[in-house]
Amino acid sequence: MTEKPLPAISAASAPYWEAAANGKLLLQYCAACARYLFYPRSWCPHCYGGALEWRPASGRGAVHTYSVVHAAPCVGFEADAPYVVAVIDLQEGPRMMANIIGCAPETVRVGLPVEVAFEKRGAISLPQFRPVAA
Amino acid sequence: MSARRHLRNEPAIAAVFELPPGRYPELSTLDLYREVLSRALAKWPLKARDIDGLLVPPADMAGDHPDILMHERFGDELGLRTVLSETMFAGGASYGLMIQRAALAIADGRAEAVLCAGAGKFPRLDEAGRRSMSKIFHPQFELPYGPTIPAMYALLATRHMADYGTTPEQLAAVSVAARAWALRHPHAYMRSRGEISVEDVLQSALIASPFHLLDCSVPCEGGGVILVTTGELARRISAQPAYIRGMGEFHSHGYQSQTDAFNISVGTREAGAQAFRSADMVPNDIDVIEIYDAFSAMPIICLEDLGFCRKGEGGALVASGRILPGGDLPLNTYGGLLSYGHTGDASGLSMIVEGALQVMNQAGARQAENARAALVHCYGGMQADHSTLILSREA
Repeated sequence: MTEKPLPAISAASAPYWEAAANGKLLLQYCAACARYLFYPRSWCPHCYGGALEWRPASGRGAVHTYSVVHAAPCVGFEADAPYVVAVIDLQEGPRMMANIIGCAPETVRVGLPVEVAFEKRGAISLPQFRPVAA
Repeated sequence: MSARRHLRNEPAIAAVFELPPGRYPELSTLDLYREVLSRALAKWPLKARDIDGLLVPPADMAGDHPDILMHERFGDELGLRTVLSETMFAGGASYGLMIQRAALAIADGRAEAVLCAGAGKFPRLDEAGRRSMSKIFHPQFELPYGPTIPAMYALLATRHMADYGTTPEQLAAVSVAARAWALRHPHAYMRSRGEISVEDVLQSALIASPFHLLDCSVPCEGGGVILVTTGELARRISAQPAYIRGMGEFHSHGYQSQTDAFNISVGTREAGAQAFRSADMVPNDIDVIEIYDAFSAMPIICLEDLGFCRKGEGGALVASGRILPGGDLPLNTYGGLLSYGHTGDASGLSMIVEGALQVMNQAGARQAENARAALVHCYGGMQADHSTLILSREA
């Protein structure tokens, strides 16, 4: 793995990645549970209902937790180190993993307000997060 | 009302054997298994006809071609005809869960003597190995972000620090205590390196914040075998068996980003509560604690979630000196994965061996005083799989 890995897109997640390619973050929503889900899948993990809708997300959230990675997992990430692996509390409720980009790693804190930004990687567009401009 | 479920047939750990952790470049994983089993069986008064169960993990999980039929390989080599045989895997919780499966089969009257064995290499990973290890991360929603195993566990440490004020010095105290215990174990991998200080930990290289190199377990190779039998058979083999008095198991999320909480080990809390309930014991009844310490933060979080202190007070507890040799809460008395060694696929075995040795009063220079009961908590995957055992001098 000398390059950064690309996501292996599945049928359940294809709309997510198609929207990302257009600069939009979509989340699945279960109307029966009245809650948003992450990650995309074929059924709601709470009620097992299969009627999930795709809804546009605000793209806003806050850093729930993070780590600054100094020892990269493979060659593709070595040039980026140190970089931030974080879990984001999305405004809609679910959490997702992303890198925090567009700031010095040492400025990242739990609770930092962030917004989605898209990184072009090969043929796909990867949702990332950056600090909300003050 | 006592919640204790008395297990029939008094399942017990009758004997343990472990190779010194180290580097065994001349031995394949299969050779390591053979070494473990031949040396243990030469010591123990057992013949093939005495053994009616075999539980092993797959071999070479970190490589490109894991062997998932190890119970068949070694059933054949040992000439066994068994009523219970399986290759099972739940990461670092594998061995804890093997002991539980064996104990339940014995309590059910189905088996009398079950070998729980494993051996592991900790390969210096080439790109193929790195690809294989990356299976533990979600291929779409984690892997593209460059996670590492230390970083995934660091996510817990960071949130715990933010919520409870846990400090890097408190994390380091876990590594310092592990080394102090390792110096009392003749086979600990880091024994020759001598003692370490909090400063040494904080000055070692950053791996994934807040973890420095010395907050991370030390990779090496090894293996061992634990014999679980009826109480009757155990008393013929050992002057003081380690009776399996309490057991708990819980499985939570699979992928780390899907965990319910980052400042709690949910699986530890659930498995620990079950184990205490089944033993009819409380944390105060435990004399020795062994907790899987792949990273320094984990014993802090797990001590809280097992009930050894209030939530958020784990950092202060480990920094108080109580977990050190001579303290009243001896923790990871063999040196832990941090300083005894993290023996690849066999890494969840050492702490059970140690818990048993303590209860059997065979722990040598590191023997805790009056070790009537030991708690051993293991987890596997990204905190997905949890096993808590309570071993006791009394059935």
